[in-house]
Amino acid sequence: MNQLTTKQKIIESAIRLFNIDGVANVRLQQIADETGISVGNLAYHFKNKEAIVSAAYEHLFDEFSQILSAFLVGPKLMDFDRQLERFHHFFSQNQFYLIDLFEIDRSYPLIMERWHQFVHKMIMQIRKRLDYDINRGVVLPEPITGIYDTLTNNIWMTIVFWVPQQVLKGQPINELLFKQSVWSHISPYFTPKGMGEFEMEIQPTFAS
Amino acid sequence: MRPAFFIQPDLYAKMLDELSNLFFTEKLGLDADMNFYRDDLWLSDTAVIESIQLRKGSWEISLLFAHHKIPMKFLTRRISSHSCPNKAKMMAFYMRRLAAKDQRGTLTVDINDLKLSLN
Repeated sequence: MNQLTTKQKIIESAIRLFNIDGVANVRLQQIADETGISVGNLAYHFKNKEAIVSAAYEHLFDEFSQILSAFLVGPKLMDFDRQLERFHHFFSQNQFYLIDLFEIDRSYPLIMERWHQFVHKMIMQIRKRLDYDINRGVVLPEPITGIYDTLTNNIWMTIVFWVPQQVLKGQPINELLFKQSVWSHISPYFTPKGMGEFEMEIQPTFAS
Repeated sequence: MRPAFFIQPDLYAKMLDELSNLFFTEKLGLDADMNFYRDDLWLSDTAVIESIQLRKGSWEISLLFAHHKIPMKFLTRRISSHSCPNKAKMMAFYMRRLAAKDQRGTLTVDINDLKLSLN
């Protein structure tokens, strides 16, 4: 039985359409048609398009917060691998975040501000995870001062922009390739112990 | 859009550090850490007897937990006091029922188990 309320259905339809056509190109009529309701009914739930865009982003931010809250649930490398799976799912399902980045920056400054906060948190998490793995003895101590800040930034860029760069190259989007790309940044810095853990726990998942 | 909960970046960094530290500072407990539980386990097989006494002008409720096989193994705890004796009686009744594992009161202490010498 479908338990979704009309409001949730509208948001899901809007996200689907935003992914295809971009936020700026979607009209209220299209969202109403996609949801299977009239424009009048749509207006009852959301007074204008801005309200729908805000609600859609609110929905995304909730999902994103949940992924961020999965920081170091477990003590091993597998914990990051699980978080990567969730990042991949999020960024491949919500591609409009990038298509409309500039439109959002121009027309919805509040949403952009929220994105900035999430981005900072995400970068901080990656950096702290590296520190944690250094303390645990699975990642080498920083060989050159500042290189792990650059590495953090590269990992973040791969997580966020991997999907669009695959689209640009016409390459397939799948979780395995995504995870391999991210891990390839970190693996050169593994200690023998870290490499052992990686080969034992992460690499077998690549073969499946 | 509802206002976002905002956490200062420095504070967030500190919080992440503490989360990471958990894996280094938290150690597995020892078996002896659970002794407090084992030491008091006998309390789950006790007959609970309420007692009401007038003390300093109010009716004080105490519960006596006595092992039903070894009656000399017992423990008394003062629970509360009331100015009205009827209320104290009622509260004592409910407290006994709350505290007793066996609410029907079939766990009892037999006077003969005490082996009293009347000499």
